Amino acid sequence: MIDIRLTVNGKEYSLSIEEDKRLIDVLREDLGFIGVMEGCGEGECGACTVIMDGKTVNSCLVMGFQANGKNIITIEGLAKDGKLDPVQQAFIDVGAVQCGFCIPGAILSIRALLNENPKPTEEEIRESISGNLCRCTGYNKMLEAVERARRYENGA
Amino acid sequence: MLAHQGKSVEEVLNLLTQYENCKIIAGGTDLIIQMREKRISPAVLIDISSIQELKEIKVDGPFIEIGAAVTFTDIVESPIFEGNLSGLKKACRLVGSPQIRNAGTIGGNIVNASPAADSVPPLLCLNSILVFRSFRGIRQVKLEDYFKYKQKLQIKEDELLTAIRFRRPEGTLSFSKLGLRKALAISRISMAAMVKLDEEGTIKDIALASGALGKYPMREREVEEFLLGKQLDVNTVDEGLKILREATDKRLAGRSSYPYKRRAVERLFREVLSGVVA
Repeated sequence: MIDIRLTVNGKEYSLSIEEDKRLIDVLREDLGFIGVMEGCGEGECGACTVIMDGKTVNSCLVMGFQANGKNIITIEGLAKDGKLDPVQQAFIDVGAVQCGFCIPGAILSIRALLNENPKPTEEEIRESISGNLCRCTGYNKMLEAVERARRYENGA
Repeated sequence: MLAHQGKSVEEVLNLLTQYENCKIIAGGTDLIIQMREKRISPAVLIDISSIQELKEIKVDGPFIEIGAAVTFTDIVESPIFEGNLSGLKKACRLVGSPQIRNAGTIGGNIVNASPAADSVPPLLCLNSILVFRSFRGIRQVKLEDYFKYKQKLQIKEDELLTAIRFRRPEGTLSFSKLGLRKALAISRISMAAMVKLDEEGTIKDIALASGALGKYPMREREVEEFLLGKQLDVNTVDEGLKILREATDKRLAGRSSYPYKRRAVERLFREVLSGVVA
């Protein structure tokens, strides 16, 4: 076992984990953040995307102990004071969700993009979700949702 | 398995000497998959992704040194690779997905290199030097030789790749890649060129490197020799392509993918050479 300390969604955790656990396992099994989805387990589908120190990563391709000292945001950490993040609200309002499996990862990719670049081009939005595979609703609705989220963020 | 999150290069070198069957992990994008498929089972896993000195891009006079744990995203976002070095930026921008580029490192792309590693052809064109450290000292190896003489020169058990070093070129670096689709694709073929032209458009200096046109990424020396001193125009490019095909015919004939690659290489070769003028 190895001791790690990390911040998830603004709260600090100290725990002992097995050395061979991946970050996704630590988040889901040890800490209960089951919004982190496991799809392919090899970094192709992006369902396990989390934001680590400001950048999106596939949590299936990070070892748990590598996350020691890091600041992590999962889908559970986006809502503030009972209010959904504008990106989450926009996904619901434009109907960008069907089965929902890819959605936590896709929303976090978009959130990370908007944090760095509040006025992305369509090309940049498409690029930001190129590592998040969706096989039902598709990407056009997600693009629409980003437009909508930007309006919400500007108070419209 | 034991796990260590390395805090300094010294500490990592110490662990490498102390334990057997160690594996260095940085981005983890290849290694974690290999471990889960049980293709490797290290006794000790040493993380270098949080070691600051390995995450820096340093400019030292005419030299640029990229730390081994610098990610593809770090390179894409760095102002150092604007202008005549933007070919390296382009190669890094075309790796995997944003998530992979945020984790994957330049050092991992080299020591774990598949023949299709995207960052390698541009680094070959820059005559890059690999810097390995161990308690025995510092070993510097030309990147080109590292692949060519892999058996003899490859990273040793007690060594850590700490940096990739090259001199800022006078010419312009460009990169082209053919993937099966735009996003996430592993290169089928990639090519990089560094060309310096004089005012008349004569090629004064050239380096050309290919990825996935051989067992490992390599410089295309015969093509370089032919192009050097010539006017960079349509005729020269046509003739250069013939020489490139002669070289790849020798290396790849008989492979099932070769008839496709033999045709596809034309577009890449033309694109990469027009990229050094733009």
